[in-house]
Amino acid sequence: MIRGGWTEEAMQSKLTTLSAAIGTIRDDAIVALGGNTLHRGPGAAVHELVRQSKRGLELVKTAGSYDIDMLCAAGVASAVSAGYVGYETVLGMAPSYRRTVQSGGVQAQEHACYTVIAGLRAAIQGVPFMPVAGLTGSDLPAARDFRLVADPYSGESVVAIPALLPDVALIHVHQSDQFGNAVIRGSIFEDLLMVQAAKTVILTAEEIVDGSAFDTDATTISSLYVSAVVESPRGAWPFGMDGHYAPDVDHMLKLVTAGGDPLAVSAFIDSIVNEAVPS
Amino acid sequence: MTVPDIQTISDQMVVALARSLRNGEIVFHGVASPIPMVATLLAQRTSAPDVVYVSIAGGVDPKPGCLPVSTVDPLLRGGSRSAVTLTDLFDLAARGRLDVAFLSGVQIDANARTNMSVIGDFGRPKVRLPGGAGSAAIMPRAKRTLIWRTKHDPRVFVETLDFVTATGNVDLVVTPLCVFRRVSGRLQVESRHSWVNPDEIVAATGFRVDVNAGTPVTAPPSSTEITGIREIDPNGVTLSEF
Repeated sequence: MIRGGWTEEAMQSKLTTLSAAIGTIRDDAIVALGGNTLHRGPGAAVHELVRQSKRGLELVKTAGSYDIDMLCAAGVASAVSAGYVGYETVLGMAPSYRRTVQSGGVQAQEHACYTVIAGLRAAIQGVPFMPVAGLTGSDLPAARDFRLVADPYSGESVVAIPALLPDVALIHVHQSDQFGNAVIRGSIFEDLLMVQAAKTVILTAEEIVDGSAFDTDATTISSLYVSAVVESPRGAWPFGMDGHYAPDVDHMLKLVTAGGDPLAVSAFIDSIVNEAVPS
Repeated sequence: MTVPDIQTISDQMVVALARSLRNGEIVFHGVASPIPMVATLLAQRTSAPDVVYVSIAGGVDPKPGCLPVSTVDPLLRGGSRSAVTLTDLFDLAARGRLDVAFLSGVQIDANARTNMSVIGDFGRPKVRLPGGAGSAAIMPRAKRTLIWRTKHDPRVFVETLDFVTATGNVDLVVTPLCVFRRVSGRLQVESRHSWVNPDEIVAATGFRVDVNAGTPVTAPPSSTEITGIREIDPNGVTLSEF
């Protein structure tokens, strides 16, 4: 078939294994995580980061839960740039995140959600910072060293959020073809910004399909941004996946319950890395 | 004070928030917000049918058949005729077109400033809190912010915040004991709930409040409002906030 003047035979398949895709991520990388709170997070990719004992990652997300909590619990994360970390009123606070920040092992680089968006937008547009409205009266700009700049036209000052340039974005999608043309159904959250801002993009997909089946205008993500595609049924688990499965709250509860106790957390993590995803 | 059950407290908080929504306002809530979710849906079926309801899930005016505990759940797109992204909603707030935002705080001071960040030092906190999500960006830019908090004691309503996560155009603060209104930048008790004596509000609040026997009692939920709440939220998802 013809797509944009290229034959499929001429395009290189990006299909690979989860282990190989995650293996390309170096220690100390900046990693953007798709989804929001309990929904459509890249669960399989997060577990593979743990399995490969990555270290020193800086995580980027507006609102995270199990993903950030797990990567803090397992010693994978050393910094978290996020607006909210918790399990909402479903399970409350994220205890491993809390414990590792309080012990100094993880740096909480708190954002106001919109400032994550602003930083990603700056990266997308190739500019060093993005002015952002709001934050007036908040201690966050001083605590985070978000600086004021003068509007060159009016002279008024505005907060400038530095570009947030992830090394890799981990995004779980409903469908992808072998080249990374992909569809997300339901809430997209910040995933498209992450895809466009990151240097590389790893897609995990519930289903690999023949891209000729896609309506071009309904394709959420273009292959031009995508580095690797992994077939990953139930790949959001334990996050929920709109139209497929709900969040596995019982599983998340195990991490929350273990969270205050490093030994219990280690035992839980061992069980995870050796466990297959329930189908 | 005879402490009522949490369903009674929840109902009173839901109706106090629902009644404060005005017809035609664009109303937003974020993560972890079951009480605002039910309050907005109640306003749409009672006092403010033309409220426009948006949430992080992106659905505009969803008609959810079954309410989720997670207020980011795809169920909050159900029945929507259109959808926007989370980024669109932040942009809407930033440019001043969002009428109402529901926000909360772990600590709240007399100026209705909130702390959702830390207890202790920001860099090496005694307690790391979940973070303010969008609060710091939204609160100064939404036309009105309605704060709700399901706990009212001197550790929540404090004289001095450990950290100012957000401040802005707060209109009301609704608690299990009372409704505060922000007047000239400072919270005043507008009404006390029927089960609370004035001195109990003073004792539960870490900053100075003027409340006395003349302070009005919050109008209890009407039978129409109770029926509405039970139909909207038959499984009691708001109780997860207590």
